[in-house]
Amino acid sequence: MLFISFANNTYSQVSKVEVSTNTLGNFELLKNGVPYYIKGAGAKDHFDLLVNSGANSIRIWSTNNSSLLDSAHQHGLTVTLGLHVRPERSGMDYNNEYAVKGQIEQLKNEVLKYKDHPALLVWGIGNEVDLKYSNFKVWETIEIIAKFIKKVDPNHPTMTVIAGMDPSKVYYIKKYCPSVDILGINVYGSIENAGANLRKFNWDKPYIVSEWGVNGPFEAKTTSWKAKVEPPNGFKADQRLRRYQELIVKDKERCLGSYCFLWGQKQESTATWHGMFLNNGNPTEAVDVMHYCWKGEWPNSRAPSIRDISLENIGWRKDHVIKPSKQATLKIEYFKYNNQKVNVEYVLFPEAFSNKIGGDIQKSPDPIPLEIVKKSENELIFISPKKKGAYRLFAFVKNDRGQSSVANIPFLIQ
Amino acid sequence: MKIAKKIAIVVFVFSVVSCGSMRDVSIYESSKSVSPFEQFPYKILFKDSKENGLWGVKTNACKQVSYKTNNSYVGEDHLHIKWNASDCRYVAVGLKWGNYKVKNLKPILESTAIELRVRIDSGSLSNVPMFFILVDYGGKQCRANINYLDLEGGKIDTMWRRIRIPLQAFNYEKKGVNMSNIKELRLEFQRNGDLHIDNIKIVPHNYNYIKSKEKFTKLFDSHPQNLGVGKEYWWGINTKYSSNLKFGDSFEYESVVVDCSESKDLKWNTFGFSPYQWMHVDISSIYRTSAIKFKIKANELPKLKVFLFSYKGKKRRLQIVLNASNFINRGDGIYDAYLPLKSLEEHEKFTWESFKEIRFKFLSGNQFEVGNFQLIEFRGNPKKPTQWKGI
Repeated sequence: MLFISFANNTYSQVSKVEVSTNTLGNFELLKNGVPYYIKGAGAKDHFDLLVNSGANSIRIWSTNNSSLLDSAHQHGLTVTLGLHVRPERSGMDYNNEYAVKGQIEQLKNEVLKYKDHPALLVWGIGNEVDLKYSNFKVWETIEIIAKFIKKVDPNHPTMTVIAGMDPSKVYYIKKYCPSVDILGINVYGSIENAGANLRKFNWDKPYIVSEWGVNGPFEAKTTSWKAKVEPPNGFKADQRLRRYQELIVKDKERCLGSYCFLWGQKQESTATWHGMFLNNGNPTEAVDVMHYCWKGEWPNSRAPSIRDISLENIGWRKDHVIKPSKQATLKIEYFKYNNQKVNVEYVLFPEAFSNKIGGDIQKSPDPIPLEIVKKSENELIFISPKKKGAYRLFAFVKNDRGQSSVANIPFLIQ
Repeated sequence: MKIAKKIAIVVFVFSVVSCGSMRDVSIYESSKSVSPFEQFPYKILFKDSKENGLWGVKTNACKQVSYKTNNSYVGEDHLHIKWNASDCRYVAVGLKWGNYKVKNLKPILESTAIELRVRIDSGSLSNVPMFFILVDYGGKQCRANINYLDLEGGKIDTMWRRIRIPLQAFNYEKKGVNMSNIKELRLEFQRNGDLHIDNIKIVPHNYNYIKSKEKFTKLFDSHPQNLGVGKEYWWGINTKYSSNLKFGDSFEYESVVVDCSESKDLKWNTFGFSPYQWMHVDISSIYRTSAIKFKIKANELPKLKVFLFSYKGKKRRLQIVLNASNFINRGDGIYDAYLPLKSLEEHEKFTWESFKEIRFKFLSGNQFEVGNFQLIEFRGNPKKPTQWKGI
C-alpha cells in the first residue's frame, strides 16, 4: 500500500512536455499544457543565483551526475538532459557494430533511469557529434535512441544538438532522424545568421539555442604567435545582451528558448572566455546581463564592467611584443555602476596554448609572479618577465560583494 | 606339456575377452583436436599479487594502488586502485603477463576475450573511464574500452561484476599492432575513480559483430558527371520565407530561378547544393582536368560569386567571382558557364577527396535562371576557359 502510494506520488510529479503550435502558427513548448519558454543556462551550480536572475531551466550534457537533476528540481528548475553520444573525434567508430550497439544499449538504460524524473524537460541526444566528423552513420544512432524515447517516454520531446548550422547536417538529421522533435544549435559567432540559415536549410521543426554566448576562441582573432585575442568582459556583456534581445527572443515562430553558456567557469583558451563566473566563484557582469534579459530589469547591485584594456597604449585587438625585463604599462577603463568602491587586481599567466576543440577539457595554467612597480585604479606599471615566451596579463575589478569583471591582454616577450 | 596347454588356454581366453571390449578404430580417424584457446599458454593475467606481477603500482599524486586481501574474487588478494588523472598526463598500470614472454594472439583473436572482475565500494556506475591497451614488442599500442554489452548486469557496483573485452574490440588494425608479438596489457585510467579489480584472464568468447567499411563517399573518376541531381540536396529555396528563389524548369536537370525585382529582402541571395547527395564526393583523380559547367537563362548576365566547400582539411572553402571570360553566349538569352577547377585560387590545398558543396551568391542581377550543373572534362587554359576548343 505504501509502495503504491509512493509510486503514484512519483508519477504525478512527472511533467508532460510537448511541442505544439499556437494559434499564430508559432511553435511552442507546453509543460503540463501551459506554454513554457526556456530561459536557461548551461549550469552545474550557482542555482540560487540562477533562479534569482529569472531563469527557469538548465542544460546538462550527460547523465553522469544525477544529483544535478535533483538539485535543479529542488530549485524549481527544469532540465534538458544530455545523453552523451560519443563523437567520432573521441575515437568512436560508427562502422563498428559492437561499439555502436554497446553505446545504444547503455543510453537506453539511462533513458529508463531518468525518464520519470520530475525535473526532466527535454532529452538532448548527443552534443556536437557533427564536429569534425566524417561518418554520417552517427545519425542512425541518434535516431535509434530518439525512437526508443518515443516508445518508452511519451512525456518529453527529443532534441539533438549540433555545432553550428550547416545544410548537410540539416539534410542528414531530416533524413535519418525523423524521431527528433527539436534541433539544438550551439552557436556563438554564427548566432548572427542562425535563424535565417535554419529557414534557408529547410529545417521545418522548432529549435532551441542550446549554447550561445560570446564569440568562441575558435572564432577569435589570433596574434602572430597564435594566442587568441579575448575581448574585455564589458564588450562581451554588450554582445550577450544584443544577441539575446535581437536574435533569440525575436524569433517567436521557431525558437523555443535558449541556454546561455556558461553559468559557471571553465578553461577554454583562457579561464574567463565563456564562463560567467570566475574560477573563485565570483559572478561577472554577464550574470547581470542575463538577469536583465530574463527579468527585464537590472539587479540592485551590479558588477563593475571593464570596457577597454591596453598595453603600452596599444589596444587589446593588436599584437603586443615587449622586451624582457622592461617597464611596461597596462591601462584599463571600466564602469563602476552603483559601486562606491572597487578593488583592482592583476595576475600574470603563461599563455595556455591548446588544440582541443568542441569544449573538450583543457588544463588551466598556474599564475606566475608579477613584478609590480606601481598600481592605481586604472593603471599598472610592471616589469616584463625575464624569460622569453608568450604570456597573458589579466586585470580583475570587483566590488565589495565579489561581483567582478575581467579583461586580459596576451603579449610576447622577445 | 600340461602347463603349456594351460598357458595357451589362458592366453586365448584373455585374447577373446580383450577383443570383445576393444572399440573399432578407423585408420583414418584424426587425433582429438585442441582449440587455439586451449593451446594458448598465457591464459592468466592476474590472479593475485603473489603469482602475477604488475608495474606502475607505486603510489603517486595521481594514483594509489594497493593489494587488498579482504573480499577478493580469487586468489590471496586483489588490486585496488584510486586515481585522479587531472594533474597527470598518463595514469596506468601494466600487467607483466607471462613474465613478458611473446604472446601470439592471432590464433585466438576471433574466439576469446580478456575477462576480469570489478567492483566498487559503494553506489553504482554504468561505466568507468578505464581503457585496455595491448602493446606489441615494436612499441605499438591498440586500445579498447568497456562495452555495455559485455558488462555483467550493465553496471559496476559492490558485487564482483564480470567484464569482457573481446580481442576483436581492440583497434589493432588501425594502429598497426602486431598481434602475434604482444608484450603486455596495460590498464589506463582517465578522469578519476576508485575500483577493485581481480581475476584477469583470457576466456573463450563469441564475437558476432561486423565492422563495415562504409565511408559515405561517391567517387567521380570520369566525365561528364551531373551535379546536384535531386531537389532535396539543394538549400536556399524556401518559398514560405522568400520568393527570391524558386526551382525552375527551363533545363534538363535542377535549376533555380532568381527573381529579386520586387523583393526587398536582399539578404536572401544565396543557394547551394551537394554535388552528390551530401556525400563526400571524391574527384581527386580528375579535378585537375575538370570544370563545372552550367547554364544561365537571362536577359543580362548576373554577377555571381561561386564557393566550393569540402568536408575536411584545413582549406575548406574556395571562392571566385565569375567574369565574362567564364561565359559563352549561345543566343536567345542562354549562356553556358565554365568554371575550371584549377582557376580557383589555392585549389591545390583543397581536399578534393571530400568535395561537399557548390554555393552561389548573386551580387547583381534581378532575374535569371541558373542550372544544369555538370562536371566536364577541361584541358584548356584555366584563365581563358571559353577559349578551349574542347568545349
